[in-house]
Amino acid sequence: MKAKIGQYALFLCRRYLAIIVVCAVGLIVSLLIGPNRYYQRILLLVLIWASACSSFNIISGYGGQIVFGYMMFLGTGAYTTVLLFKLLGLSPWIGMLVGAVVAALIAFIVGLPTLRLRGAYFAVATVAFPLITIPILNHVGFEEVSIPFIKRFSAMQFADIRAYVIIAVILLAVVLITVRMIELSRFGFCLRALKENQTASEGMGINTLRTKILAFILSAALGAVVGTVYAFGIQYMISTHSMFGLFIIVRVLSISIVGGLATLWGPTIGAAILVPLGQILDSQIGDVYPGAQDIVYGAFLVAGIIYLPEGIWGKLSTYLRYFSALFEARVRGVQQVPGPTETLADRQLTVGSLNLDFLCAKSSDTKTDSFILEVNHVSKSFGGIMPLVDVNMQVPRGEVLGVIGPNGAGKTTLFNVVNGYLTPEAGAVLLEGEDITKKKPHSVCRLGVGRTFQVPQVFSHLTVLENIMIGAFGRGQGISEASAIARRVAEQLGFSSQRCHDKAVGLSVMETKLLEFSRALATNPRLVLVDEPMAGLNPEEADRIGTIIKELTRNGITVIVIEHVVQSLIKFADYMVGLDAGRIVAEGKPEQVISDPHMIEAYLGKKWKERYARS
Amino acid sequence: MTTFMQLIVSGTLLGVSYGVLAAGLALIFGVLKIINFAHAAFAVLAMYFPAFWFLKWWGIDPFISVFMALPVFFIFGYIIQRLLLERIIGDAESEAATLIMTMGFALLIENMMLIGWSGLPRIINQSYTLATWNVGGVLINHAQTYSLLISLGLIVGLFLFLNKTRIGRGIRAAADDPEGCAYMGINLRSMYGIAFGLGIAITAAGGCLMATYRPFDPFFGESIIVILFANVVLGGMTSIAGALIGGLIIGLIQQVGTLVVPVSLQNVAVFAVFLLFLYLRPQGLLGKREREI
Repeated sequence: MKAKIGQYALFLCRRYLAIIVVCAVGLIVSLLIGPNRYYQRILLLVLIWASACSSFNIISGYGGQIVFGYMMFLGTGAYTTVLLFKLLGLSPWIGMLVGAVVAALIAFIVGLPTLRLRGAYFAVATVAFPLITIPILNHVGFEEVSIPFIKRFSAMQFADIRAYVIIAVILLAVVLITVRMIELSRFGFCLRALKENQTASEGMGINTLRTKILAFILSAALGAVVGTVYAFGIQYMISTHSMFGLFIIVRVLSISIVGGLATLWGPTIGAAILVPLGQILDSQIGDVYPGAQDIVYGAFLVAGIIYLPEGIWGKLSTYLRYFSALFEARVRGVQQVPGPTETLADRQLTVGSLNLDFLCAKSSDTKTDSFILEVNHVSKSFGGIMPLVDVNMQVPRGEVLGVIGPNGAGKTTLFNVVNGYLTPEAGAVLLEGEDITKKKPHSVCRLGVGRTFQVPQVFSHLTVLENIMIGAFGRGQGISEASAIARRVAEQLGFSSQRCHDKAVGLSVMETKLLEFSRALATNPRLVLVDEPMAGLNPEEADRIGTIIKELTRNGITVIVIEHVVQSLIKFADYMVGLDAGRIVAEGKPEQVISDPHMIEAYLGKKWKERYARS
Repeated sequence: MTTFMQLIVSGTLLGVSYGVLAAGLALIFGVLKIINFAHAAFAVLAMYFPAFWFLKWWGIDPFISVFMALPVFFIFGYIIQRLLLERIIGDAESEAATLIMTMGFALLIENMMLIGWSGLPRIINQSYTLATWNVGGVLINHAQTYSLLISLGLIVGLFLFLNKTRIGRGIRAAADDPEGCAYMGINLRSMYGIAFGLGIAITAAGGCLMATYRPFDPFFGESIIVILFANVVLGGMTSIAGALIGGLIIGLIQQVGTLVVPVSLQNVAVFAVFLLFLYLRPQGLLGKREREI
């Protein structure tokens, strides 16, 4: 038992060693500077901005949601603490935590509606909140609030600025350890995935809104604590401008971009470079050229985004990884070094019989007569267009259902309605009798509906394995289980173990399709919706896809396929449905559907049957 | 009743002045998908140069220098697009990158103005700056009225340019389907450059007009940039007509809102309405919803 605890402590130390070392360096620098107030103040500013930017990094770097109104949380923290201290005499140490709770609450209230918005709308929406807060605070007479001077520990006020440096170092360590924990957790993976492709993450069972709100709340609460330390350590008197002003987000973004967003060390490095530079400029030439500091920030922003979009740390870490791989290779005596832009030679993709028992698909052995999916009288309209008109469909369990029809017939819309991207105006969708009409895509996925996309939606900057892991996360697996499942699925579908560690962006069309299949399978589906799996593939590859689909049904998974390559489809489809102009015009055995006069007229063409018969 | 009419009139005048600035912002967002954070800074630059300094140096009336600002800022915008922004637009993550780069422009422009021309608030004092007509008790400012007419002219001109000329149609095509354009032999880069130049030019003109009746300082832009964002979101981000309507809505809320809330809280009313709108109809008044997958 004791040994185990010791081992765990050692493990934690190693994991967070770098953070502890850097924070210790901060303290040593402070010790070396001595009692010089001016330099201690610069150090304090570096630590505070590093903490602020690292907190901001959680939602805006890892989560990719640039919160333009981030000063809302710094300001909330500072104002809550100072007002509680001034009006009620509450110790700032407690006030700081109250401020964090208030900021978290505000983040929840702000985030719930705004995080549904995307890109530009989100950025603009969040900045409205501090701009509403400033005039309100000014109006009630809190434009400027001085902090009552009581030199006591409980009042968080110290004559020696070095006390604040110690507080700021501890704060930075807490923030960085939080960021590191997120980086290594399932939550961190989900954040990265939704940053890459929100639609696909949602379809793979990740509750994107909840993930974003959680990240937002964390960022906000940490930001509020930073705001309090900033107010007490630097400001002495807080004003709505100094705590809620636009300049704060400008600084935060400059520092984060120059250092590197979505990296652990980026914001700290950015702060260590930009803050002293700005302070020295301000004190040296600030009285002659009052805007010099901001001009430097502006120039760094423009140059940084052009020449170093991944930031200083982003660039450095690429080299570090390369050299460590080089070093490792030399130690092991391996010749080939996988560089940052590695491409592997083509490998053989062999599909034998898939064995997906380890997924334990929920409906594999219950071959009852009931249908797995029922679509009852579903209609959907976009403005004046009706892509689905009163669609009725029953999908038998454990079979392959092919869906054909001309472009614009409503095939993909039907899929989007089934797995929850769209809500129909009328009708109901039942999965094994359970109504899923109004459910969101992530809950539909968790109920056992997998999905691949017409235009592949992989997470380009994640590796093959990580892509598949995202699927496994959706069903509530931890990191190690998800990784194990992903490995087995990848192996079953023919990814070599080397290929598993390549980024998805470099995959061929066939591999991308296989990746989508793998990811859908990792969600442990009972039903998989497959949208045009053969588009862009050669006949041989298309055959392989057909084999895989057939293998899925052997493992008890029902498959619905949209496909334009009808010759291939009829080889493995058990039933078929023909759609035209949003209506089901033919259904039954494949032979029946392709002989249906309406389908021939609207889609297949008169000569098709002859050509098919010949081939 | 007179008070109410007065507020309607001043709200309309204010709204159109926002509308013309927002039209440039909407054009740039629509074509290049750039959220131009430096937009208001360009307008303030035009308030100083040409409007303020041309009057001071050579006695050129700001209503004349409006038309000098158009070509000068068009070239300025074109160069910025071709030299800097062009390097980072085009991929999926570029929306944040361009927002950040234009934020850098704003810092540079504002602080250079601060260093060069000091932070003193400036005002242009011409015969029309404070003069008013009295229409049945409602006071209408001369400078604002002239500005309104010129602004409407500029917006109509921009609209006609985009719809009736070859280049204008090219720009609209580039906004709609850049890839398709490239295959059809349209020079995308030059279309983007022209669009950004036009957006900046019309904004600069709007800034010159605003300078004829409103005091300003180098950081005046910071106080209106978010209002302009709200304005284009209300109008549907990419629509020029929408920008004008959005401007009118905001101008009227700011003015008529003073009947209900204190003047110091007029922007609270604007942003409250804006947020409400964002939740209910995120695609804006004249915007379209896009297919996701």
